Amino acid sequence: MTLDRRTVPTEAPEARTSEAGSATSDRTGRTAESGAAADGHPPARPDGPFPPAAALAATLAALAFAATLYAWLRGGGSIDLPWAPTLGLRLHFRLDALGALYALLATGIGAVVFLYSGRYLRLHLSHQGRPARDERSFYAFMLLFTVSMVGLATAQDLLLLFVFWDLTAIASYFLIGFDRHEAASWSGALMALLVTGITAVLLLVGSVMLFVAYGTFSLPEIIAEARPGPALTVAAALIALAGLAKSAQVPFHFWLPNAMAAPTPVSAYLHSAAMVAAGVLLIGRTYPLLQESELVLDGMLVVGLASMLAGGLIALTRERLKQVLAYSTVAQYGYMVALYGLGGAAGAAGGAFVVAAHALAKSALFMVSGAVTRASGGEERLGRLGGRWRTMPVVAGAGALAAAALAGLPLTAGFFKDELLFKAALEHGPVVTALVAAGPVLTLAYIGRFWGRIFLGSPKEAPTGPRSLATTLVAPIAVLALISLVFGLWTAPLESLAAEAGSVSLGGEPAGLSVAYHLDARATNLIALGVYTLGGLLLATYPRWLPVAQAFALVALRFGPERAYVSSLRQANRLSSALHRFEVRDLRRRVAAVLVPCGVLVTAGFLATPTLGQYEVGPLDGRDAPLAIVLALAAAAALAAMAPRSQLVLVLVLSSAGYSLAAVFALLGAPDVALVAVLVETLFALLFVAVFSLLPGGVLDREQSLSVPPSRRWRDPLIAVVSGLFALAVVWGTLSSPVPRGPRISERLIELAPAAHAQDVVTAILSDFRGLDTLAEATVLLIALAGVGGALSRARSS
Amino acid sequence: MSPSNVLPRAVARFLLLPIGMIAVALFVKGLSSTGDGFAAGTVAALGVALQYVVFGHREAERCLPVRRAPLAAVVGLALGIAIGFAPLLSGDPAFTHLPPAGEKVAKLGTLELATSVAFDAAIFLTVFGMVVGIVRELAWAAEQETEEA
Repeated sequence: MTLDRRTVPTEAPEARTSEAGSATSDRTGRTAESGAAADGHPPARPDGPFPPAAALAATLAALAFAATLYAWLRGGGSIDLPWAPTLGLRLHFRLDALGALYALLATGIGAVVFLYSGRYLRLHLSHQGRPARDERSFYAFMLLFTVSMVGLATAQDLLLLFVFWDLTAIASYFLIGFDRHEAASWSGALMALLVTGITAVLLLVGSVMLFVAYGTFSLPEIIAEARPGPALTVAAALIALAGLAKSAQVPFHFWLPNAMAAPTPVSAYLHSAAMVAAGVLLIGRTYPLLQESELVLDGMLVVGLASMLAGGLIALTRERLKQVLAYSTVAQYGYMVALYGLGGAAGAAGGAFVVAAHALAKSALFMVSGAVTRASGGEERLGRLGGRWRTMPVVAGAGALAAAALAGLPLTAGFFKDELLFKAALEHGPVVTALVAAGPVLTLAYIGRFWGRIFLGSPKEAPTGPRSLATTLVAPIAVLALISLVFGLWTAPLESLAAEAGSVSLGGEPAGLSVAYHLDARATNLIALGVYTLGGLLLATYPRWLPVAQAFALVALRFGPERAYVSSLRQANRLSSALHRFEVRDLRRRVAAVLVPCGVLVTAGFLATPTLGQYEVGPLDGRDAPLAIVLALAAAAALAAMAPRSQLVLVLVLSSAGYSLAAVFALLGAPDVALVAVLVETLFALLFVAVFSLLPGGVLDREQSLSVPPSRRWRDPLIAVVSGLFALAVVWGTLSSPVPRGPRISERLIELAPAAHAQDVVTAILSDFRGLDTLAEATVLLIALAGVGGALSRARSS
Repeated sequence: MSPSNVLPRAVARFLLLPIGMIAVALFVKGLSSTGDGFAAGTVAALGVALQYVVFGHREAERCLPVRRAPLAAVVGLALGIAIGFAPLLSGDPAFTHLPPAGEKVAKLGTLELATSVAFDAAIFLTVFGMVVGIVRELAWAAEQETEEA
């Protein structure tokens, strides 16, 4: 590797956020030819033995798959451990049919994708000149993702669900941003995190609403007690929104095309079978609550149909392989959301069936796109590919199977996914049926275009990649495609699993699901035939339709929700920098930024509480003379602190104010506080001297000689006087204690101290009664130390 | 080394032991009298800071094992968290100290053998580690400054 590859363009944070603003979906598929971080390690080699990390991850996932399958065949099971009993939280997992379906998908497809990643990632890293050890974090986060997905699939407690929900988002952030030197990766990762993370808060809000209404976070208990009403509708709608955003449904869909900056195995896993599936899983899991409200169901139907049509139309126009697949995912998850929106047994069981059928096909297709791109030296534009069936016949064949499954052709599991959709739609009249049928028509057209432009025709450019692909890049595709075929012929396993999953979603009601080929003129078969005809026609004539679709795509991208995201991110950024500039630019403003809001809040507090007549001035007699003298000293020192021009004198004057106050505490009979005050004052004096010694000499002198702008001449003293007055008001108010007199906490603490084996109340408070506060403050100390270390070492290195 | 330095150096060296004694005393007497882990940690750290001021950081670090001070702070915090939250394992609220109220405390001289004292020790470590850590950082930064000037 030459030296120029070792330039490390680490993105500055500002650059990252502003990039998030300007990223459009077509830029994300870019592959870097150079500019990767090498960090002194040799770049990865594309050949060599199979990476052990990938083998380990694949084995673990396969074992988890086997264990899940075994447990499920043995009748499932559940784990129920206390988590936070006082809050009624439990670590409650149950392997029911719905959980088993998603857990099997996550572990099974995970194992296949890990196998695929082994060789793919080495090629990817060597292409970017990055060292092979970069792959470690990849597998760690992929496994974290698998674990959180299994947890999410089996969790029976809403808060537990939320925790795993966010864990998947965190893992996805690091996986999408794996190419950390590329702006598109950063912005895509941030976008996925923000869109799914902010909407996750809706899930939390919905869960808390349910907790308030039913007194528990446990889903089975809530479902057993749920009664329809406006509160349930709102909570269900919020939860459904979180699910829709995670499943990349309109109008939240834009994060998915941008997440295509991730390496292809990540997309083959997260963006076909796992991350996006989590949204539908949530909908399936909380379906008994969602279906209590017609409004929520209708909303889901509309969103599902919109995603189906918009995703299909845009997929038809995309040029980059992964972009086609990303919009296809948006459209396909539209199927599932629409099915759940249509409701009933057909909808709930159908939704579960479609998830599995789609995941198999789409994961295989993503891996096809990765294999083709790798074999073509990084080329991923449809227009530059073509005729690839000659050089990679197995990939072409497996890809054809997967594409057929996605398009819903007979003999594949995908056929039934369309049939179930038609069957559910037919119950809702011709308009819904026609709209629903438009989805598969578009699917047939875009996936036919996708496959045909890659594998048919004549090669536009001679392939520059490796002559033959490694077996581990081809076999996973073939495996998934064959499974798709097997489930299209032997329908029983998927049928029964989906039916039982549907029954879980319906709250225990049996969900009949009959999946079989019928060679007769029933409505669903006729619709399917019509879809094939129209889809074939569209595929044959699509160049004519393309301008229409392109105009739609252009409008959708230019004025769609992504624009709102980008502009709100920019505004937030601008606001943050404005605040930062205002507060941090000089020390005076920073102090004022603390004091002025304090003063305002205290005033508000005083105005809200009746304090008239509560302020009293106590009697002053001869015994108070020492106290008065020391206080006067402290006041004099505070006044004197305004004058000195030498830093050392300033430190001494400030310290003497502090020591005087320590003496006040001693006189008032608080030896512990006095001791700490003296010690801290000494320490501060020392540290101040040390810090001032770092400053150039004569700063105070120069400051004095500068002409003060008129605005500041009045502003600074005003802030000082106002904040001083507020401090006085607070102290005076506390000392004359305007609150009604009653049993004091301090008396109780003194009573309790012997029980804590202490004669010294302060120590008992610090280490026992308020130990948690002490611990929090100790944490602050450590953070301060890290901050000082960071600031000084940065100053040192610059 | 100028002759005017001799007196401060001797005093600083001589004071190290008494300062340490005072710190230990403040800690040991924690539950029965004025003083606790925080005060003890600050006193001990002031003793170390005195060595830095008088001898400079190189020589101070040659005779005192303070290079790992930030680690002490981290260990202290970890210890504090462990002691504070360990009762959760047996189902008690956090910061339930042992032995429970009403039972006799085993004593080692003035030092009570109770978990609240161990927590105090954790605070001692955190405070000591933090102050010495900051003093170190400043000392090294000051050296950098003088080298550049």
